[in-house]
Amino acid sequence: MLLDKVADVIVKTVHCDASDITPETELAALGVDSLKAITILFELEEVFDIEIPNEVIPSIVTVNDILERLEEADLAAAS
Amino acid sequence: MNRRVLITGVGAISGLGLDAASFWDGLKAGRSAIEPLDPPIPDVKISIGATVPEFDPGDYFSQDELTILDRFSQLAVIAAQQAVNDAGLIRGEKMLTDAAAIIGSGCGGKHTDEATYVQLYKKQKSRAHPLTIPKGMPSAAASMVSYHLGIKGPAFALASACASGSHAIIQGMTMIQSGMIDMALVGASDAPFTYGLLKSWDALRVASNDTCRPFSKDRSGMVLGEGAGMLLLESEHHALNRGAKVYAELAGCGMTSDAGHITRPDVEGITNAIINALHHAELNSEQIDYINAHGTATPTNDVVETEAIKRVFGKHAYELAISSTKSMHGHALGASSALELVATTLAMHHELIPPTANFTVADEACDLDYVPNMARKQRIDAAISNSFAFGGLNAVIALKRYSE
Repeated sequence: MLLDKVADVIVKTVHCDASDITPETELAALGVDSLKAITILFELEEVFDIEIPNEVIPSIVTVNDILERLEEADLAAAS
Repeated sequence: MNRRVLITGVGAISGLGLDAASFWDGLKAGRSAIEPLDPPIPDVKISIGATVPEFDPGDYFSQDELTILDRFSQLAVIAAQQAVNDAGLIRGEKMLTDAAAIIGSGCGGKHTDEATYVQLYKKQKSRAHPLTIPKGMPSAAASMVSYHLGIKGPAFALASACASGSHAIIQGMTMIQSGMIDMALVGASDAPFTYGLLKSWDALRVASNDTCRPFSKDRSGMVLGEGAGMLLLESEHHALNRGAKVYAELAGCGMTSDAGHITRPDVEGITNAIINALHHAELNSEQIDYINAHGTATPTNDVVETEAIKRVFGKHAYELAISSTKSMHGHALGASSALELVATTLAMHHELIPPTANFTVADEACDLDYVPNMARKQRIDAAISNSFAFGGLNAVIALKRYSE
């Protein structure tokens, strides 16, 4: 499922336990600073083969925000 | 007021081992760390080098820390930590917090840059890794040394190819002499064993696939090494006030540039750099007991350096001891000049001159005393360390045995 794939990407950068990651988890609570955030976005772009525009970055606070952005990108690609 | 500058801590990570103690043990034994590259790098002519043995970055840094540490930064931080420990300093102490960190490098974060270029140019990926810039930038090691040791004074990188370490050391020395700071962590780091860089060295046709034999008639070129050398410099009053152990006095420096050929050494530039160092250190040429030579083992360097030493020292050139420790730690580019000043400092401290290893046959064009193969027990009261970089950037550092 999508959450598992996203959790794998986050774990690669912040070295936490994947089971600690839920949709409600705030990235800052995982120790994600600005540099780690762009690293996670880079990995997401690679894994999902999408482009995440700079403008959406401020709106990404929780893991769920990432899931929503990915779903939007998926819809956009399908349309 | 002329403030004297003392060396109160040293650190080294090199082909000879993971710390300054193993570095000195190797030099003392005349042991060359040059080995076949393992694994060999396909499609590269260079097949030997002095790489850091049994090095696991995970022994020194967390996984998280390593994401932003290029190999040259790892080596810099490890050697810097050693120099700080050796000087009896602890992170968070005001004197260390206020210190400068001036870290040279000949080639910077090549591992990081090349990894990104492989993705872009070879694998046709469309994105670069977002840490490429902060991890690979030439000043990354200076930033990481500052970060890991809590140094908040002036910190920056310095590049002058194979003299980067010497120029960084001189910069720290002059900042202390000027009264700007009391303490400086100085040195250089290089990690040049990457595909692109080795191919580029191949193209210059100056690397040996035999071994590094400085001043020997059968020398066939330089051999790359990797590592970092760091020194803790302090103003005299600061060191004495805190009861620091003193290795030597950093007595002076001479810097010149050739304004000439981009790779061929220039006897006049080298000669003037040595003369300037002696003058700055208020030393007569007869007082020099030991020269740690640039000694790359290229056919040209060793003859030109020998000629410059004869011009400066005259008859005394035949009486002083000269060695090239590159025969043991390899040519670690900018880091070499810092490792060589660490070697010179320890030689003065231990009263033992490290040899020129791998020496086989005397060369009539290099007819001085190069201390072949066996270390020599000898007190050193004054010494110089030579570094002559590609691009004609020359730096010579003079050390004196310290007395109050």
